[in-house]
Amino acid sequence: MQLARRISQIIFFLFFIVLFFLAAFPYETGIPADLFLRASPLIAIATFLATKKFISTLILALVILVLSVFLGRYFCGWICPLGTTIDLMDRMIGKVKKKYSGVTRRFRAWKFSILIVLLVAALFSLQFVWFFDPIVILTRTFTTTIYPLFTFFIEGVFNLLLGLGVFQDFLFSAYDFLRETILPIEPLFFQKSVLFGLIFFGILSLNLFAKRFWCRYLCPLGALFGFFSSFRLTRGIFTADDKCTDCGRCQRECKMDAINDGYRSYSPIECIECMSCITVCPTDAISYKLTPRFAREKTDVSRRRFIYSAASGLLTLGLVKTGLPGKVTKGNVVRPPGALPEAEFLDRCVRCQECVKICSSTGACLQPAFLESGWEGIWTPRVDARQGYCEYNCNLCGKVCPSGAIHPAEMEKKQKELRIGTAYFDRNRCIPWYRSEDCLVCEEHCPTPKKAIKFDSRQVQLPSGEKKIVKFPYVDEKLCIGCGICVTKCPVEGPGGIFLTNALEQRWDS
Amino acid sequence: MSNINRRDFIKITGLSGMAITGFAGIHSLFGKIHPVSTPIDLAVVQNGDPAEMVRKTVEMLGGMEKFVKKGNTVLVKPNIGWDRVPEQAATTNPDVVAEIVRLCKKAGAKKVMVFDRTCNQAKRCYARSQIEKMAKAAGANVSHIYKQKFQKVKIPNGKELKSWEFYRDAINADVVINVPIAKHHSLSRVTLGLKNIMGIIGGERGKIHNHFDVKIVDLNTVIKPQLTIIDAVRILMNNGPQGGSLSDVKQTNTIIAGVDPVAVDAYGATLFDLKPEQLGFLVEASTRGLGNLDLSKLKIEKVNW
Repeated sequence: MQLARRISQIIFFLFFIVLFFLAAFPYETGIPADLFLRASPLIAIATFLATKKFISTLILALVILVLSVFLGRYFCGWICPLGTTIDLMDRMIGKVKKKYSGVTRRFRAWKFSILIVLLVAALFSLQFVWFFDPIVILTRTFTTTIYPLFTFFIEGVFNLLLGLGVFQDFLFSAYDFLRETILPIEPLFFQKSVLFGLIFFGILSLNLFAKRFWCRYLCPLGALFGFFSSFRLTRGIFTADDKCTDCGRCQRECKMDAINDGYRSYSPIECIECMSCITVCPTDAISYKLTPRFAREKTDVSRRRFIYSAASGLLTLGLVKTGLPGKVTKGNVVRPPGALPEAEFLDRCVRCQECVKICSSTGACLQPAFLESGWEGIWTPRVDARQGYCEYNCNLCGKVCPSGAIHPAEMEKKQKELRIGTAYFDRNRCIPWYRSEDCLVCEEHCPTPKKAIKFDSRQVQLPSGEKKIVKFPYVDEKLCIGCGICVTKCPVEGPGGIFLTNALEQRWDS
Repeated sequence: MSNINRRDFIKITGLSGMAITGFAGIHSLFGKIHPVSTPIDLAVVQNGDPAEMVRKTVEMLGGMEKFVKKGNTVLVKPNIGWDRVPEQAATTNPDVVAEIVRLCKKAGAKKVMVFDRTCNQAKRCYARSQIEKMAKAAGANVSHIYKQKFQKVKIPNGKELKSWEFYRDAINADVVINVPIAKHHSLSRVTLGLKNIMGIIGGERGKIHNHFDVKIVDLNTVIKPQLTIIDAVRILMNNGPQGGSLSDVKQTNTIIAGVDPVAVDAYGATLFDLKPEQLGFLVEASTRGLGNLDLSKLKIEKVNW
């Protein structure tokens, strides 16, 4: 049974990786890359609460949640790729120091508190389930930290070997091969990757204090499954009283500290069906047999804790919502094409960075925001046009969005109607204006069939008295779609001679 | 690692450091390329199937064997700069590219490379232009470029540019065949063969745009294609160099080929009703001895099917 569980974990983890690689241009296989995110009941419920709408892509999550009434927290033990990563970490760490064992059991209620805070806030339209959802955490960290780290190290090794100056032809062909298979076409860089990395490795290092520390005490998705498991209609793990020698190995081995003292019973709210206890029992006293049996289990949430948690949810909500939205910063936040109107966009966006991932394989304009649009918009995707631009023929970001925060718009609509902003020249920094020399790199790259960047040819007089004709570019506001390629390609050092704002943006109107 | 002592460590790091510095050092190219002499200066074929027109022009110049020797590594350099379909005439016609690859292979080329430094994302351009698919089918090695393969090269005859990064595979190729598409361009008025060389340079290409006429000629003193074949099957008359609207595309059904890159471009200019002398970069190129822009002094043979 333990072996079966491990195989399942590995398969789902590999599937997660495959889906991660799928979220890249050309994205034509038809397999949705956001499948794991769609499967998270926490995302589904929080999004339903925040938007007060039923979002059909998230239906899979409800099926998965209902199953836990029969199978307990099977998702945590058998499927969750973050759980698998944490298990791997546990194996690497080995035995937890004795001084922590037993101390941490009272933290169990924390995860329920977090869940309550998240859901109460979501109900009042502040979605921040994304901070804690394990699938989101893993997707986000893979996108912004792990994959870039991986490519960075491969490139580093390649550069180092190249520097030795021998076998260059072989090295180049090996690198060619890697680039055609697992490496991105351009090296990846993401803002906030340090922060995301720290959070992720922080979660992993919690395992120093207890096995699966995150799953036991913090994970709100685990809490949600635990809550449903408290109504479990079945039980699986049974201890044969006559065979048990009270050695206590099962309790010490249990990933979730789910076995009650006395070793004859366990908590279905905590148990993740990992089957480790069965394997370690020296007398084969523990067995698994799915049997109908209903007995309501009590969660570790007292009424007082519930009220405190709900109140802190409301307090967070109030604090975030009453922040002053700055006019200037709001204008600088350019959203991906097909994004819903800002309020609904924020309700739906789960900050998984799937759009950022797939964008990094084409125009690479999307980056996770920090405080550009206030606390509410933290880690939402925004266009950083100096780093990358929205590819004219690309609408992939909407196709991988699990919660519909970015609508999967048709290409023609994306190119013609769903403009994301408008570019403006900064004449103090634009070469023809400050240096009286031709440039027109922006005009060359402008992708609209009738160029949105036009130019006037005018005579100027140089300081030497010489007269010459210079081409001065300007933006035709009606034609500009805000793709930002002009900003990306502008050859001026530092801030470009042209910049992008969200003026005249056209959000998806449902 | 444990049996490396400090002394060894210093030696190794020192040596690799020196190696790295050597690699990053400025390379200088030697003129290994001698222009091939051909029976005529320019071959122009009109109103045929693209592949047939290519075959005919090459045949008129004396056949591909004149340019490509057995065992040569050849770079066929099309314009794959934009994420556009062939009908939009922003990228070189894929049939033209494929046919040139086939001719090179037939002449005994060991390896025929096809690549370009694109403006839109490379995979998109390679796919949508259909050049990747068709050139591969013809036997070419189609690859995406990356920064480690750029090498700084001295430009001894450069007026504005004293050195610039060029792509390793282009420098090392035995033969370079330049295959631009003829297009309108707001800065240089038209883009043809000389400007197509921008697809094998590194660095920030936007910086080439001011003093463009001089800088583009500087670059062309480094890489000299043995053969330039202009694809003018469809040409882009307006809103170049990436167009996007079919109303800006003109069917001219023409292929122009020749050894002299300036002469080929000079003829290409006439498709846009421009005189070669009106193009600053051609004047600059001819004054600096890169080729001849005076069409009246050239031996041009035309075939109209």
